[in-house]
Amino acid sequence: MASADVPPLSVRGVSVRFGDRSALTDASLEVAPGEFVALAGPNGSGKTTLLRAALGFVAPATGTIDLLGRSVQELRPLDRARRVAWVPQEEPARDDVPLRDYVLYGRYAHRGMLEGDSADDRRLALRLLEEVGLADRASDGVLSVSGGERQRAILARALAQEAPLLLLDEPTTHLDIAHQLDLLGRVRALAREQGTAIVAALHDLNLAARFADRIVVLSRGRVVANGPPRDVISRELLGRVWGVAAELRSDPRTGVPVLIPYPLPTEPPGVAASAGCVHVVGGGGAAGPYLRALAEAGYRLSAGALHLFDSDLETAEGLGIPVAEEVPFAPLGPEARERNRQLLEAAAAIVVAPFAVGPSNLANLEDVRPFAGRVPLWLASSPPIERRDFTGGAAARIYGELLGSGAREVASPADLLDGLGSLLRAERPARSPAAPRPPDAG
Amino acid sequence: MGDGPPAAHRPRRPWFWLVLAGLGLLAFVSPAFGPTPIPDVLVFRILAHELTRGALFPNACGSGIVAARCATYVLIVWQLRLPAILLAIGVGAALGLSGGTLQGVFRNPLADPYLLGISSGGTLGAVVVFVLYFGSREITGELPLFAFLGSVATGLVILAIAWSRAGSVETLLLAGVALSSLLSAIVAYLLLFNQQGSQQVYDWLLGSVSFATWTQIGIVFAVLLGASFFTILHARELNLLQLGHEVAQSAGVDARAIRIRLILLASVTTAIAVAFAGIIGFVGLVSPHVVRRLVSSDYRVVLAGSLVVGAAFLLVAWDVDLFFSELPIGIFTSLAGVPFFLYILFRQSRRSTMGGA
Repeated sequence: MASADVPPLSVRGVSVRFGDRSALTDASLEVAPGEFVALAGPNGSGKTTLLRAALGFVAPATGTIDLLGRSVQELRPLDRARRVAWVPQEEPARDDVPLRDYVLYGRYAHRGMLEGDSADDRRLALRLLEEVGLADRASDGVLSVSGGERQRAILARALAQEAPLLLLDEPTTHLDIAHQLDLLGRVRALAREQGTAIVAALHDLNLAARFADRIVVLSRGRVVANGPPRDVISRELLGRVWGVAAELRSDPRTGVPVLIPYPLPTEPPGVAASAGCVHVVGGGGAAGPYLRALAEAGYRLSAGALHLFDSDLETAEGLGIPVAEEVPFAPLGPEARERNRQLLEAAAAIVVAPFAVGPSNLANLEDVRPFAGRVPLWLASSPPIERRDFTGGAAARIYGELLGSGAREVASPADLLDGLGSLLRAERPARSPAAPRPPDAG
Repeated sequence: MGDGPPAAHRPRRPWFWLVLAGLGLLAFVSPAFGPTPIPDVLVFRILAHELTRGALFPNACGSGIVAARCATYVLIVWQLRLPAILLAIGVGAALGLSGGTLQGVFRNPLADPYLLGISSGGTLGAVVVFVLYFGSREITGELPLFAFLGSVATGLVILAIAWSRAGSVETLLLAGVALSSLLSAIVAYLLLFNQQGSQQVYDWLLGSVSFATWTQIGIVFAVLLGASFFTILHARELNLLQLGHEVAQSAGVDARAIRIRLILLASVTTAIAVAFAGIIGFVGLVSPHVVRRLVSSDYRVVLAGSLVVGAAFLLVAWDVDLFFSELPIGIFTSLAGVPFFLYILFRQSRRSTMGGA
């Protein structure tokens, strides 16, 4: 049935409307045999509608959907079921049907009206149960097994249809992490080994990036991105489509992008973004909490001067901000201090984190001195400087001097955000804070 | 065989055959029960005589019984008792089957053959007959006809709703219940202005198999045979429909067409039962549950089982009924059926709370 050049699924210019609401607009998508395509997008972006249209449950207002070259709307249910199988997100189950019978339900489209379950069908059902790891549960009822097992049984039932295209709607929603990986791994193996084309709506972008060959991103019913995970997933896209900020890493084992999402800054963007750069002086992990809090609030940052392998430096690099750095355990050299001074010069505000001050990094405090009184300066006061002064009093003296020339003390990162916020708002009374950017805007 | 263990999912067929055998046995001995005392031996002799058209016992009653009395005995056994028994079996089977079908189609354990207003339609038909023909003696022919037409007409209205795209299962159920109320209101209105007829309507409503004729039995079994064949043919679709309209459709079931076909079959089956036996409650509701709880929820089993359980239930009801000098059978089905049903329900839930799967 599957000739090489006819795609199992071909969606061209499809729009779906529910009354006045447009659920899908001019969506196009083609899936080749053996390909695993993940559908991603926020809630209500049209993922499920696209799947349901491909199953013939909703008729497109415009455009065509072909299954192996035949329009889905023209296919009889029986022929449709031989071309596409479906794993729904949730399925009502009232009767405690034994799993082996449950899987046999998937053979419906391959059986004549008067035929019973053939021996071949029964063997297939048992083999599929084995493939999804349920061989020993074949006699158990579908209500007596766990949620993960039921989801795998549903997969086995869909596989029993032996269709060249498999559609899955959030198949991992009710599964724990291990079962999520397991289920998607099995689905991908199916694509690789049997050439089944897979389209799965997935909320979890990390799972999508890990398992899919291609990610199709939907936003407000439109396809806004379509390509390999590496090309599709970007900070810009995450902000535009989902309204989240995210840190992108590369999975050391697989090389696929891994993202750590954050909500977009809650501080009015007009304030935080216009604030200019905030420079954090730290070391020994003391700057980390301040850097993270400021980053999450949306401030632009720089940091210095930090030694290599210091966890503060890792934090700064993770945030992708400019840093003045020095080799480990050495006193801060002229290069690092020069770089730090440049960053201090560029900063609109300076924060001195509660780092332990010794002879090798006393220069960090000394370099702040010229800026006292010129830009807003905050000194962390917890723990107090006396307890982390290992310079015989030199550091405490500089602290005293800075406080004397207008520096303020802060006890915690939250304290600092309050202080910065009120300072900035006081400076720009006329400018009303812009509303936080809504997800999906643009 | 050989592959696969003798698992719990295999329908426990002995159970089915046991009930069927019991039903046959009961049907065989039942003609001996009745208000007129006829010696048991004579009953079976008469049956054998009639069944073999006189070949086995040329003289139905044997020597020692006057011909006039023998003729009365033959009339009672062959024209009254046996038809009533067969009608009880046929109607019970019909109600059981359509109850099982409708519970499957609507995925609702409360569905029964009367749910969609089919009984109300039948009642209206009957009331119309009483109103039109009141005073004339002979209404035995018109009553079943009008009751049947009323039931089928109601069924067709429901089907029209199912046919329209808007007809989801829930819509259908609600429409049926609403239609039922409307018809009951019309019935109440008609009776209000024709009070002489109301006692007869009331008798009819309580259901009875006492006035069965061989023609009726022929019709009932012909319809039953056809309906059960086509319904059980769709048992696999019913199994899939339990997983939801869309899941069934994705597996290849033409859900809407199957639904319409099955509702049509259940409507005609119910209408036949209503036409000849009036409204006999509870059989259609209980029979599928008994099968589901005790045997299997596979609709291949549920449908065949409901057929047999429904028949057995109504036959037992009829026999027990005879000891209480012919109470309306509909009263007995509820009186005896409800405690039994509750017992099954509680037995089941106690088992599951005790930790059994």
